[in-house]
Amino acid sequence: MLKGFQTIFVKELKELIRDPKILLGMLVIPLVLFPILGMVLGYAAETAQEQAEKATLLVVNNDGGNWSEVFIAFMNASMKTIVVSNLTPQQVLEQDLLKQNNSTQFIEIPAGFSANMTEHASGNQKIKATVNVYGVFQGSGVFSDIGASVTNVIVSKFNRYIAPDVVQITQSTIIKGEIQTGVDPATLSSLMMMQTIAIPVTVMIMLTYSMQIAATSVAMEKEEKTLETLLTVPVDRFAILMGKLASTIIVAGIASAAMMIGYNYMLGSITTQIPSELSVDLVKLGLMPTTFGYLLLGISLFMTLLSGLALAVIMSAFASDVRGATALVGYIYPIIFIPAMALMYLDINTLPMAIKALFFAIPYSQPIIASKAVVMGDYTTVIFGIIYVAIFTVVVMYAASRLFATEKILTAKLLFKGKMGKTVAETE
Amino acid sequence: MSLAVEVKSLVKQFGNIRALDGITFNIKEGEIFGLIGPNGAGKTTTLRIICTLILPTSGAVKVFGLDVVNQASEVRKVISYLPEEAGAYPNLSGWEYLEFMARFSKGSASEVKRTIEEAAAISGLGERLKDKTKTYSKGMKRRLLVARALMTRPKLAILDEPASGLDVLHAYHVREIIKRYVKEHGVTVLLSSHNMLEVEYLCDRVALVNKGKVVVEGEPQKLKAKFNSANLEEVFAKVVGYA
Repeated sequence: MLKGFQTIFVKELKELIRDPKILLGMLVIPLVLFPILGMVLGYAAETAQEQAEKATLLVVNNDGGNWSEVFIAFMNASMKTIVVSNLTPQQVLEQDLLKQNNSTQFIEIPAGFSANMTEHASGNQKIKATVNVYGVFQGSGVFSDIGASVTNVIVSKFNRYIAPDVVQITQSTIIKGEIQTGVDPATLSSLMMMQTIAIPVTVMIMLTYSMQIAATSVAMEKEEKTLETLLTVPVDRFAILMGKLASTIIVAGIASAAMMIGYNYMLGSITTQIPSELSVDLVKLGLMPTTFGYLLLGISLFMTLLSGLALAVIMSAFASDVRGATALVGYIYPIIFIPAMALMYLDINTLPMAIKALFFAIPYSQPIIASKAVVMGDYTTVIFGIIYVAIFTVVVMYAASRLFATEKILTAKLLFKGKMGKTVAETE
Repeated sequence: MSLAVEVKSLVKQFGNIRALDGITFNIKEGEIFGLIGPNGAGKTTTLRIICTLILPTSGAVKVFGLDVVNQASEVRKVISYLPEEAGAYPNLSGWEYLEFMARFSKGSASEVKRTIEEAAAISGLGERLKDKTKTYSKGMKRRLLVARALMTRPKLAILDEPASGLDVLHAYHVREIIKRYVKEHGVTVLLSSHNMLEVEYLCDRVALVNKGKVVVEGEPQKLKAKFNSANLEEVFAKVVGYA
């Protein structure tokens, strides 16, 4: 074996294993992060499934024949249905029947359904019966179109029971209160998924990268032994903190602008690459953010970055060097990653209240929530999120200014053992 | 002569450890005063309290009549502190570093320029001031930092181990700077060192510190005579009972 290899190897291993920050980052975080994520996703999928099964299906019977009664009875065996008659889809919306019946979709049995079924049963298999399904587009998320899938499953079962492909489905989507005929919610969801993955991934990368940089700002002063000198010159300590934060604000501003340009370009690419046969035009459907929406999303992103950077600066004050600072900031990553990864798959509005509240409380999930909300025109949620992050940031900055005003900026350390001994040793 | 620094019954407690245990001494204006003692005696803690970096547990410190706890920002206007392990920003040139530091004390651009030029002369680094400080040797960096500490002509310069770890020539240069500059401009200096010979050469008066207390204080020559010793090292050994 290479001479000296073993000695160096053992020493390196000892140093790494004995550094609690590294040990926690490498072992505890992955061991805790992924199970939590799994639990959140599993719970959410289960809840979505349960909600879909419990959901009320509004049936608009415009046929009135025997076969429509059979079809309704078959559906009623699988899920709770409420039947209304002789209404156009537009009238269903106008009368607000979906909301009144706590439903997100309705199925229309059009006139001629029974006649077509009878024709098919009598041997003319070219004749098919059709039902029209209308689903409300609520936002995107892997589990958000489970409701629509349940309807498809029931119709398939009915076909297996009666005759293959006898009943066919046409899908339409209700977007922002308007019926978009022929737009399949599943197709729409999969298209929107592109942005629901892109935003969280970009936010994760931007936050972790910029926080790593910000974390070095105070730690570098300590490591290069410049902090003590700086703290004794005639300058307000709050000015030192603000100076450091201001430079990171510039970084955050540039990063936000770059991300908005990239995001706009990405959405543009998606819309130009949608096959024309899908007849989905996101701009026409109102599923592209407006200028105001872009502006709000940009502000949300900027505030979140600022908040993350301020927290990174304050955390770095607790480290004695850059390595320690970056390790400390690593403890924030699970708080960024869990909601970001979960919101790739989930629509926050379908989550149980406790998880929903938790995700709203985490400032770093705000741009992800905002990216979905601006598409749906829900500006209230975005503005509320921006105000929340702003308050959070002010609190963090106040704490940072208090820390800078005292000797804790020099003596504060997250010690795992031998608390004061180390501090005194370093003081002398 | 009025007092530049008054330290009275200074105590600093770090958890269970008493780093300073009632230190008392005064420094006259225009004097070079040395705190000497072994590692861990409490020298740096004393300096850090005087320069407003940390707070005392009890006791009082006044710098030109200003209280270091209640008038910290006023104290910072009249002092300049050179920590033992100070560094410079590695990606700034020596000149840029001096300019950065000068801007905190000096108002106008012409004052800043004059201050930097003075620092350049003190440091003796010449053209090397244009280079980034990360390219400097330890000795060059220390010369830059000593120049930085003196360039603003502070009323009180607090220098912690000003020549520690330097080779003979760099250490000689640094001591010469302090001695000459201080006398020329009437700056009061408080320095700490565990190098007794350095202190003997530089200081008008010294205080020997051990275990957080001043064990003896006076002019080097008088102390040597009093304890019948050849140098301050011997004085210290006798005072603490090593010899």
